[in-house]
Amino acid sequence: MEDLIKELKELEELVLQCMKCGTCQAHCPLYQKDLNESAVARGKISLIESVYEGRLDKAGSILKHLDYCILCGRCKENCPSGVKTDEIFLRAKAVLRKIEKLPSWGKVVLKIVMEKPDLLARVAPLMHIGLKFGAKRVKDDIFKPLLGSFSKRNIKQVASKPFTKTHGGLHKADNEKMKVYFYPGCAANFLFPEWGEAIISVLNHFGVTVYVPEINKCCGIPAATLGEIETYKKMVDENLNHINDIDCEYVITCCPTCQYALSEMGPKVTGIIANKPFFDILMFLDEVLGVNFEVKLNERYTTHIPCHYRSTKKERLKSHVAKNIKGENITLENQSCCGFGGTFNMKKYDDSKAVGMSKAFEVKSKGIEKLFTPCPGCAMQLTDAIVESGSNAKVEHPIVYYAREIVKSGISKDKTEKGQ
Amino acid sequence: MLSKSLVKKFEEILGQGGYFTKPEDTMCYSYDAFSAEPVQPDIVVKPKNEEQIKQIITLCKNENIPLVTRGAGTNLSGGTVPVKKGCVLLTTGLNKILEINENDMYAVVEAGVVTANLANAAVKNGLFYPPDPGSMNISTIGGNVAENAGGLRGLKYGVTKDYLMGVNFFDMDGNYVKGGGKTVKLVTGFNLPGLMVSSEGLLGVMTKFVLKLIPKPKFSRSMLVIYDDIIKACETVSEIIAAKILPATLELLDNFTIKTVEDATKIGLPTAADALLLIELDGHEGQVMDDFEVVKKICENLKGNIKIAETVEDKNRLWEARRKALSSLARLKPTLILEDATVVRSKIPGMMRAIQDITKKYNLTIGTFGHAGDGNLHPTILTDKRDKDEMLRVEKAIDEIFAKALELEGTLSGEHGVGFAKAKYLEMEVGRGTIEYMKKLKKGVDPYNLLNPQKMGL
Repeated sequence: MEDLIKELKELEELVLQCMKCGTCQAHCPLYQKDLNESAVARGKISLIESVYEGRLDKAGSILKHLDYCILCGRCKENCPSGVKTDEIFLRAKAVLRKIEKLPSWGKVVLKIVMEKPDLLARVAPLMHIGLKFGAKRVKDDIFKPLLGSFSKRNIKQVASKPFTKTHGGLHKADNEKMKVYFYPGCAANFLFPEWGEAIISVLNHFGVTVYVPEINKCCGIPAATLGEIETYKKMVDENLNHINDIDCEYVITCCPTCQYALSEMGPKVTGIIANKPFFDILMFLDEVLGVNFEVKLNERYTTHIPCHYRSTKKERLKSHVAKNIKGENITLENQSCCGFGGTFNMKKYDDSKAVGMSKAFEVKSKGIEKLFTPCPGCAMQLTDAIVESGSNAKVEHPIVYYAREIVKSGISKDKTEKGQ
Repeated sequence: MLSKSLVKKFEEILGQGGYFTKPEDTMCYSYDAFSAEPVQPDIVVKPKNEEQIKQIITLCKNENIPLVTRGAGTNLSGGTVPVKKGCVLLTTGLNKILEINENDMYAVVEAGVVTANLANAAVKNGLFYPPDPGSMNISTIGGNVAENAGGLRGLKYGVTKDYLMGVNFFDMDGNYVKGGGKTVKLVTGFNLPGLMVSSEGLLGVMTKFVLKLIPKPKFSRSMLVIYDDIIKACETVSEIIAAKILPATLELLDNFTIKTVEDATKIGLPTAADALLLIELDGHEGQVMDDFEVVKKICENLKGNIKIAETVEDKNRLWEARRKALSSLARLKPTLILEDATVVRSKIPGMMRAIQDITKKYNLTIGTFGHAGDGNLHPTILTDKRDKDEMLRVEKAIDEIFAKALELEGTLSGEHGVGFAKAKYLEMEVGRGTIEYMKKLKKGVDPYNLLNPQKMGL
């Protein structure tokens, strides 16, 4: 116990940065829902402080509050004092996990997802079939499982074969001008293989050769959020070493959370740094290739900005979409988090869903027909909430729309700002 | 610790989810935004309506439990820290805007409504709620009234007390008291809204407010004035007021703050300047332009270099620089102590000189910015609470800042309140007689001293 308190006390320098002003209340999706101080960063930080300063003797008791967190990072992004809340919470959870052991379901999930990617790939077809017969089809490829705790959810069909199984390897572009590594992440690999396909086809179209790993290794963030920091470190280590070995200029992602895990938080906890820059696919098209799509959309649409999208790029993402998708672009009043948070959605489904529903109701009331978001986590969550709200809006990654438009109307390969 | 049977009584009033007693829950209400030793309450209650509040008060009275009302807990004076433990009552469950009356220009709101939500609702109806404390995105109206919150617009538009028309509250006997109302003129009985504003939770539990709204000004002009001597900037402030011009905002940043904000934000501030003034004039266009000419002349005479914000983006950038002042300073050192000693406006240059001398004398890092136009400066001391030696010097510096403020016909606190942070200094400003009168008043409405005990030294 003393060791544990000593370890928590190591966070003091980070903790002291918090001046308890409470600004995080305005930005925390869970505080906005519950209006309880234990939900917000200021409360959680003061709990950590109380343990190492000896005011709270049951250290393990605060873990439930630390766990009641989407880890959206909005408190960090909006903190006037620049408190690194994400780092504090992840590290504190790792310390406290030593006394409050992970429940067995968590261990099994982590074991399979982290350590046996191949096994996971092999069971995917079974899950695909399972959903086909053990669930009610809601619409298109959205299903509602019939049994158990999953029966409240509207979930997307699992791909019959994971993306890396069908697309692992090198996809050479004609007139190759550049080579990139595409890291799909688990969600695109199993649930949104069409995103990966779109990325390859759009990049190839603009002369970019794409390397896809043969096996998708999880970025490790679910382990970190469950407090299993050693597993997280291992995954970051394996992924970055692989990425660093491959000869290419950029790493492309389509999951802002994976990108955050591997290129922002990962280097902080492991000390390993990628030898090439990470780019979300849309920012790569926008900033590196300078592509102009300017495609028409005859639907009323909006864009959901993922919390983990690199904070310096959020404004650019908004203007990218507004510029490239010509149509009735609606800005939602609710610019908050979707509420997903990966493992948070598994642990606290009702709370997670409640956050998502408030956005979904606005989507419905404004008659929005399409919601773009460049994050598979947000896409899963908002699909679930939007179906539940009774809205018919379709959730999509802009890249899928771009890929379709390229095939349909053949956007010129030279139609780039730099090319003009 | 409360006995099980007592907790049961709270549960009967509030239901299972309406209260917290576990240490890891109540610990989250042991502090506010003032840096002080946290004190954990025995129970935290979250009532949903006035009836529950009435019952909680009765229970606390019967069982002799101290009762501290808390909104968002953003206050800067230790006012919501439950120093005698007991019960913390959250108003966040009462957060409805009950009415925005466009024709009669008032709003009726519950205590837990967030200030910014009221301000936005007013704008949607073409009206204006001017008080804009720095924490308005999170602070509650109940807290604003209890602390008489100010903000950037105090100079021309006043502070929370200037907008409070009516207040409903419970006294410690559970009586429901209605003070003021919706009419512009109202002289029936004591001016209870005047009594409750800045009462810091010592005289009752406030639940509902009637607040004045005003028409939104139609035109505004913002400018930045650069000085190579901060005293000249302060003199500009005094002269603008002496010329009978009331800018909507008149804010000052010293060189240390300018450099820190620029480092943090890269907005493009002139880091060589000794001081900056940010000025906004608003009202009817003709009047604004006339006033602008006078302000311009005053600034130029005092060697201020004026840059006018021509576009909305320019304007937003200026105010962003001001809004980021406190937060940018906060990043430099672990502990930040924000003071708000205030003087009459003509004495701003004297106060500024004193702050400079005190900074040197005690060898401290102090960034000063603030609402120069209403005499309310924020000398912000950057330190580390673990450095005992420096903390002693900080304390002495604060004593001197207060003494100087009083000498300049000012006050210990312009907008942060007394709480326990300034309790020991209060008599120095108001005198023994005032303290005695406040004690009698408090004893009259709360004979067992259960409402936020020990605050203001009572």
